[in-house]
Amino acid sequence: MLATDLEKASDNMMDGSVTIKLPVAEQARLNRERADTYHRYHIDAMETEDRQKFPRRFNVKVGKFGLAKLLFTEFFKYFGHWDVVFSRPCTYGVFSGPVGGFSPRPDLCVGCLRCEVQHPDFVKVTHNPELAAIGDSYLTSKHISTIDEEARKGTVPVRGQGYRGRFGGPGFDQMFTDMSEIVRPSRDGIHGRELIGTSVDLGSKPMSLKFDSNGGLLDAPKMLTIQVPFIYAPPPDSVSTGIVPEILAEAAGTVDTLVFLPENTVTNQGLASPNVVPMIAPGQMGNIESHGNGTRMVEMTSWNLDAWNQVKEHPLLISVQLPLAGDWMSTMMEMVDNGVSIIHLISDHHGESDDGRFIMDLYQEAHFALIEKGCRDEVTLIGTGGIAGADHLPKSIITGMDAVGLDHPLLIAMQARLLGDTKTRGAAGVKLPSKFDQEWAVQRILNLSCSWRDQLLEILGAMGVREVRRLRGETGRAMWCGHLEAEAFGDIEGFPGGEH
Amino acid sequence: MAKEWPKPSPKLLEKTHHLMHDGFHQRAFPDTAYDLPEALGDARWTDELIASAWYMAETGECPDHLNYKTGRSGGGFDKLEFKELPADQQLPADAEVDITLELNRRGDDRHKRTIDVPWYGGGMSYGSVSVNVMMSRALNAKKWNTLMSTGEGGYPPQLYECADHVITQVATGYFGVEEKSIQAAPIVEFKYAQGAKPGLGGHLLATKAGEEVAKMRGSVPFVSLFSPFPFHSTYSVEDHMKHLDWIKTVNPTAMMSVKVSTPHDVDMVAVGSYYAGAHIVHLDGGFGGTGAAPEIAKKNIAMPIELAIPKVHKFMQTEGIRDNVTIIASGGVRTADDIAKAIALGADGCVLGTSDLVAMGCTRCSNCEGGPSGRGCPWGLTTTDAELQEWVQQAWGADRLDKYYTALANRLKQILRELGLSSVGELRGRTDLLRYIAGGE
Ligand code: SF4
Ligand code: SF4
Repeated sequence: MLATDLEKASDNMMDGSVTIKLPVAEQARLNRERADTYHRYHIDAMETEDRQKFPRRFNVKVGKFGLAKLLFTEFFKYFGHWDVVFSRPCTYGVFSGPVGGFSPRPDLCVGCLRCEVQHPDFVKVTHNPELAAIGDSYLTSKHISTIDEEARKGTVPVRGQGYRGRFGGPGFDQMFTDMSEIVRPSRDGIHGRELIGTSVDLGSKPMSLKFDSNGGLLDAPKMLTIQVPFIYAPPPDSVSTGIVPEILAEAAGTVDTLVFLPENTVTNQGLASPNVVPMIAPGQMGNIESHGNGTRMVEMTSWNLDAWNQVKEHPLLISVQLPLAGDWMSTMMEMVDNGVSIIHLISDHHGESDDGRFIMDLYQEAHFALIEKGCRDEVTLIGTGGIAGADHLPKSIITGMDAVGLDHPLLIAMQARLLGDTKTRGAAGVKLPSKFDQEWAVQRILNLSCSWRDQLLEILGAMGVREVRRLRGETGRAMWCGHLEAEAFGDIEGFPGGEH
Repeated sequence: MAKEWPKPSPKLLEKTHHLMHDGFHQRAFPDTAYDLPEALGDARWTDELIASAWYMAETGECPDHLNYKTGRSGGGFDKLEFKELPADQQLPADAEVDITLELNRRGDDRHKRTIDVPWYGGGMSYGSVSVNVMMSRALNAKKWNTLMSTGEGGYPPQLYECADHVITQVATGYFGVEEKSIQAAPIVEFKYAQGAKPGLGGHLLATKAGEEVAKMRGSVPFVSLFSPFPFHSTYSVEDHMKHLDWIKTVNPTAMMSVKVSTPHDVDMVAVGSYYAGAHIVHLDGGFGGTGAAPEIAKKNIAMPIELAIPKVHKFMQTEGIRDNVTIIASGGVRTADDIAKAIALGADGCVLGTSDLVAMGCTRCSNCEGGPSGRGCPWGLTTTDAELQEWVQQAWGADRLDKYYTALANRLKQILRELGLSSVGELRGRTDLLRYIAGGE
């Protein structure tokens, strides 16, 4: 029948009357409709200006006497050549205000140093110490200014003239990620990365499917999918009620990820939704029933076998927090043995466990322990803590996480200043901008999410990996600076641990 | 559409040149009243390295008052030093030292080329830099009997006067690739990837793709141009071979260079390139790059060149093909000392990009992609803005590079004499002459 219709259709086309009959025509219409409604996942970024002034990069000091002298001299020297008289060394407008260099606009300075090199006698450009003072040894001023830029523009930061930083380094800087010279994630698109999937599943993947005698699926897998491999971790106590949770809940809904919020906040502020995960203390797990409005998942805030046994058969997904402290590995194994399918590993804000070990090592231990046990795909690992830059996402995933929690970066996207102890979880003071509204803050978080997702795509694209799910635990995609150095320099005199 | 700025008047040119050239001098020389600008430099290119390049580009000598050898990155080249022989065992200061490099080691019937120094200029496309910058480099390459690469942006007609010293690059976007420019080239370079943005392709922002650039690339003015990643026609060594055969058909005598990045399997990639017919395997590490690149890529994707060179060198030795191929290293090679270290680690020679620009006045401010002005480099380097590009004049640029290369060559010879070696070829793979040092930060 299909063939006949196709024949008719082509006959009609041959004689110029293009009237395609059913079912081909119907099929074509359906295809068109489907194509028209196809929505490739993306996050809508939009330039969103800072609400409070971010410390500028450079200070520009101009000696007024020197400048006056120069202008005076040039006026007579180039009299009549007004293009020369009015020329300025700065192409960025620092000296283009109403009184030119007498009142420079250092906020526009990008540090090209042309003014200072050309006029060393009266121009001085210096790094702004106010900028250097923000952040701490881990979440540095460089991270913070990058996050601010990402939250403002929603784009991937691009700069010229190569890398400017240190060779390797501690923490996440120990790892380079691999790339392929010829493999693309797909043959479509300009770079192939347009079609990379960033969605991940949370929950236990069934190792096999069971069907009833009518072919119906028995035991539908208890899982949910989020569109990006990151979730929004709960804000610190000082801002865990009020506008901040509302901002995070709205942003999580738009991005289609999850935000973890204290149960009370969810209840009192009416925030329950499919994208909000109420965090419930073990003793309160009985409350699980009260969370409606599409809630898909709750989190138990610490491991407690009795509490778990009460709720483990509940239809909602339940994740359980596990601080990377003490003998966390044994606890994790106990959780797995008792059927916990989502384990949320928590480190401090510098990505360290209580004994000072870094998460990239700990994540690998967790991941490989589950592989060893033969149950890796039955457990989802989420890691929260120590994420300060976009590259930390793929690196956490390579070392074994299914998804990663964002905490401080979200606050920085909202231009919050972190005060006091910024390492210990929950200890930092949070100073939000004095004036801002929800719409602004949501867009800033969407921009950050968009920028970080796009940067993740860059990393995946370079590797030729088509789905972020396939990156999990792919430690073969990691190149460890220490290992490479040992391989390259091991035979050189003086290399620590080398042959000499 | 971006605003087109007018060409500067002769008077404005005169004034700007005077101020800029004086400025470089005042900052680089010890006898002036000015210190180095406080905001100049970073861990890889320190203020002293930048000022040293300015000094060398003016005098042809290495400065005594600045560290012109190493940066402060805390790793790689900055952690290596040479084990100089005691003074009485070194070669005398006037001893002849051979620093030439033969590029075709395959023993085939292709073009033979020995360059006078073991380095040449890396690809910087027309569009990412101006014709003036390209010509400065090409004229200098001619003078030094070495080479420079077009990058992927076409072959501006002026370059033909230096054609014997210009490598034609064929990259994934095929921008500006013409039969004529391939036929003119002593070497054709296939760029699979570049270290600063490995696996990511290229992107010339709309603001920098003006009328002339678009004409050269066969595109529409002020429209962003993407070089895809990777070659859409290459999925294997055999496909790659097909590419090289295609070039051979157009220019039967051209040598083939294959520019690749530094992934985990860079050793396999290099061997594959050799078997596909490459004369030169050009390894481009992650820390270099002159154009705009995503920040996340520069630091994180692929390995630094210092770590890739020995891997490839040793693997090729094991495969028994090391002496049939030339390994060229780039991506973070800043100084004569870096060149010598790269060779001691196993390369035959190097490619310079950023250092050429620094010699011509780059301050490493990172605004090459346009910066907030959208006009490109304020020093006239990475821009095609009608006004700004005039800040670099060809004769001046070529002269700076000539003197800079003189200083590099002399320093390289000095290193060889201090090691008791009479040719740069003897240094290749001599890791026993290196020492790993504490510090370097
Ligand atoms: S350093 Fe560059 S951007 Fe800053 S004021 Fe001077 S000329 Fe303008
Ligand atoms: S904009 Fe010019 S000075 Fe600045 S880094 Fe780029 S080439 Fe160098």
